[in-house]
Amino acid sequence: MAIKDLKIVGQPVRLRDLDTHVTGETVYYEDVRVPRLLHLKMHRSTYSHAKILNIDTAEAKSSPGVVCVLTHEDLPGKKKFNALAGVGVGPEDESVLAFEKVRWKGESVVAVIAETPAQAEAAAAKVKVDYEELPVVLGIDEALKDGAPVITAHWPNNHYIFPENHRAAQVRFGDVEKAFAEADHIVEDSYETQPIEQAPIETNGCIAVPVGENRITVYSNTQGLQFSLDTTAGILDIPTSKLRFIGGTVGGGFGGKVDMQVEPITTLAAMRTGRPVKFKYTREEEMRVSSSRSAWRVVIKDGVMNDGRIIARKITTYQDSGAYLRFSSYGGMKHCGHMPGPYTIPNVWIDSIVVFTNRAPSNAMRGFGVMAGSFALEVQMDTIAETIGMDPWELRLINAYREGDMKSHQKEVEDAGMVETILTAAKLAGKQLPEAFQNMSSFDQKAG
Amino acid sequence: MAEYLQPGSVEEAAGMIASHGSSLAIVAGGTSAMRYSAPQAEQVMGVRGLGMNNIERSSGGLSLGAGVTMSQIRESLPIPALQDAARGVGGPAVQNMATIGGNIFARQPYGDVAVVLLALDATVTFSTANGERSQKLVEFYDAGAQADGLLTRIDCAAPGGELVYLKCGRRRFNSPTVVAVAACIGIDNGKVGNACIAFGGAGKHPMRCVAAEQALIGKALGDASIKAAAQQAAGACSPGTDSVATEWYRRRMIATYLTRALQQIAAG
Amino acid sequence: MASKIVSLKVNGKIEELVVSALMTLQDVLRDTLDYTSVKEGCRQGGCGSCSVIVDGELRLSCLTPIQEVDGSEVTTLEGLNQSNSITALQNQFVEKYAAQCGFCTPGMMVAIKALLDSNPNPDREEIVEALAGNICRCTGYLPIIEAVESVVAEMSGASGE
Repeated sequence: MAIKDLKIVGQPVRLRDLDTHVTGETVYYEDVRVPRLLHLKMHRSTYSHAKILNIDTAEAKSSPGVVCVLTHEDLPGKKKFNALAGVGVGPEDESVLAFEKVRWKGESVVAVIAETPAQAEAAAAKVKVDYEELPVVLGIDEALKDGAPVITAHWPNNHYIFPENHRAAQVRFGDVEKAFAEADHIVEDSYETQPIEQAPIETNGCIAVPVGENRITVYSNTQGLQFSLDTTAGILDIPTSKLRFIGGTVGGGFGGKVDMQVEPITTLAAMRTGRPVKFKYTREEEMRVSSSRSAWRVVIKDGVMNDGRIIARKITTYQDSGAYLRFSSYGGMKHCGHMPGPYTIPNVWIDSIVVFTNRAPSNAMRGFGVMAGSFALEVQMDTIAETIGMDPWELRLINAYREGDMKSHQKEVEDAGMVETILTAAKLAGKQLPEAFQNMSSFDQKAG
Repeated sequence: MAEYLQPGSVEEAAGMIASHGSSLAIVAGGTSAMRYSAPQAEQVMGVRGLGMNNIERSSGGLSLGAGVTMSQIRESLPIPALQDAARGVGGPAVQNMATIGGNIFARQPYGDVAVVLLALDATVTFSTANGERSQKLVEFYDAGAQADGLLTRIDCAAPGGELVYLKCGRRRFNSPTVVAVAACIGIDNGKVGNACIAFGGAGKHPMRCVAAEQALIGKALGDASIKAAAQQAAGACSPGTDSVATEWYRRRMIATYLTRALQQIAAG
Repeated sequence: MASKIVSLKVNGKIEELVVSALMTLQDVLRDTLDYTSVKEGCRQGGCGSCSVIVDGELRLSCLTPIQEVDGSEVTTLEGLNQSNSITALQNQFVEKYAAQCGFCTPGMMVAIKALLDSNPNPDREEIVEALAGNICRCTGYLPIIEAVESVVAEMSGASGE
C-alpha cells in the first residue's frame, strides 16, 4: 500500500473526548455522583524495613465517623499479589496490606474507612504498629552485596530470578571478549538515572460501589482496566463476573496508574461495609507512595575500530525495582530488547538485572525500560565519537542498522528507516554532512 | 472540628487571638495558612473582611495594610523591587489571594516580599489585647517570628538608596525560592554610605546580612567590595536543604545573586 | 460541629448553603453543587486545576474557605459554557489540540477567561505569565498558548476578516 493510499497515517485524528474537555463535562472517576459515600485513608509504614510485631487498631476503630478498619487479617484469600501473575510473572510478592514485615517506607498497612476524608485521616493516624527495625538496603550495590539483608525470601540475593534460574534477562550474540581483543579502542562508562515521578494532575483513585447482592462496580482511573479487574478478583477471591470496572478516562497516567494499589482494597471495603467507598491518593501520596519510573544503572563496554565500526558491545544494567517486583521484570526484558540500540553490532552481550531495595516500588513511565537505555546508549555514542575523533552523526550513520541485518536478538531488520531518519534530522538541524554520508541508505549492503 | 471565626474589627480579632492562643490559625489569603496551619487548628480566623488593604504613600515613606495582596502591589504600588517580588509569588490566582502579612509569616523558602521589606528596614505593627505595638521587622524575625496579636500594618521610610530585588527560582514564573536577595544601597561621595541587604532562602526566616553590609560601608561599590560582600554573605547565612535546592547550591546562589544585585546598582 | 449558612451566587444562580468550619469553596462547588469541572489535583494551590473566578478575580477554590465568599459571585467553566462566553476559545482548543487528558483544561479556560477580561490583547509573554499558575502534564503548553493567540487574533482581527 503506497503512502498516498493511507487514510489515517499522516492525518490528524481528533481526540474522542476533546469536545467535553473544553466544556468541563468529561466525567473522571471522581465526578461520578454516589450517595452515602465512605472514604478510605491508608495507614502507612514509617520504616523502610522492619518486622511487624503488633498492629493495634482499637483507637482507630472507635474514632469518630469510622465505619470499618481493615488489616491483612481481613483479606479473604491470598495476602500477596502481582498484577502480572495472570500472564505467568511471579511469584506474587507484594502484600495487599502488610503482614510479617514492611519493606518500604509508605507501604500500606491498615485501611481506615470513615464518613469523611478528614475523619478517616484522623483515625488512620491513631493506628499503632509496633515494629522491630531491620537493616535497610537503599542502593543497588548494597542490595547485591554478599550477605546483604534479604528483602523478600523468594529472592535471596535481592534480584529477580528470570525463568530457568537466570540472574538477568540476557542477550548472547557472537563473542564479545574475542572482539574486544581485536578492537582498536575500548570505550567504557557507567550511566545512572534517577526515579522520575509521573505526576499526573489527577491522582490515583477509585470508587467501589456495591450493586445488588454481591456485585461491585468500580470507577477507576487505572491505565490497565483489565489488569485492575483481574487483580481485584484474584485478591478478593471472587469470580471476575462479579466485578464491573468503568474507566478509560484518565487524568494523565504516563505509567503512573498501573500499580493496582487502590482498587482491591477499596472493593473489599465496599463489600464489607455494603456502601460505596472512595480511595483517592493525596498529592503527597502521589509523589511519595505511587510508583515512579525506575532508577537505572547502565554499564557499557564497547570495542570500536578506527573506522568507527562498533564491533563489540557488552552491557550490564541494573534496574532499581524498589521493594516489590510489580512490572519490573517486564521492564527489564523490554530494556534488554531495546539495547544495544539501533545499530548493527556483530558481538553483543547483555545482562539486564532487576534489583530489589527498600525503596518505594518503581514501575513504568513513558518508554518503559527504553528511556534509561537510550540515554546511556546515546551518551556512549558521543563519547565514542570523541574518543576516536569522529563526527557523532557520522558515527551513528556508519553503525545504523540496515535492511536485512541480523540484530543481536536473532531477528532480521525489516522496514529499516534509521539512516533516512538520521539524514532528515541532519537536514532539519542544519547539519552539513559529507556527500558519502548523504548518499547512505537503509538498503546499503550489510554493515560489518 | 474547627470553628470558623470572622471578627468584625481588628480589636475583636486581637481579642480572639489572646483568648485562644496557639490553637488559633489566621487565614488572610489562605495560600499558606490553608495548607499548613488551618487544618490542625481548633479555631480558624478569617481576616480578609477587616479591610487591612490600604496603601498610603507620603514623602516620608510607605504604609501598607497587612491585607494588601500581591496583585495590589503589582497594580497600585510602583516600587519596582516590591513589584518584582510580588510577581514571583505563585501564579495570578495566588497573587490575587496572597497578602504581604501572610508573606511575612510564610515558611521558608517562601516569603519573597518580606525580603524586600527587610531591605527597607520595615516596621511591623500588631493589634494585641493590650493595644497596638510596633517593632522592626528584623527584630521580629530575630526574636523568632512569634506574634502576640494580629499583624495590621507595615511601615517603611523612604529607601536610603537604590533598591534592587532578584530571585533565583526553578522556573521563570511561579517558582518556589532557591534564594532571593534585596539590596538597598546609598552612595555618598562615591562611597557606600548605607547598605541594607536581606536574603530569603538563606535561613529559618528572611534575614538581614550585616556582614555583607559592613563589607560595603565606606568603600566604593566596585568589583572588590562586591566580591567581599558576596563572600561574607555566603559564609554568614545558614540556608537549608529541601526539595527545591540543597544548602550547597543555596550558599553559592547567595553569593551569585548578591553579586548581580550589587552590580546592577553599581551600573546605575 | 458548628455550621453556618452562607449565600453566594454561583454561575448566575443564588445558592443558600449550610456549611461547616473548614469547608472550602472547592468542596462546595464539586460536592454540594455538582460543578465537577472544578478539579482537585493537589489541594495545595500548586496545580491550578481548581481555578475559579470570584468577584471578577481569578482564585484557587481549594484554598478558599467557603465562609470567606459569603455574598460573592463565583463562576466556573460550567457557567462560562452556559453563557456561551468562551465559544471561540473552546473552538480554538479543539482546533489546536490544546487538551489531551483534559484534567487541567477547566482551570486553564477559567484562567484564560480571567486574562482576556482584563487584557483582551495579550502578547505571548503575557499569556505565558497569565497561565503560570496552571500546570499541564500532557500538552507541553504550546498548543494551549497557540489557542489563546488564535482567539486574540480572531477578536482583534475581526475587522480585517
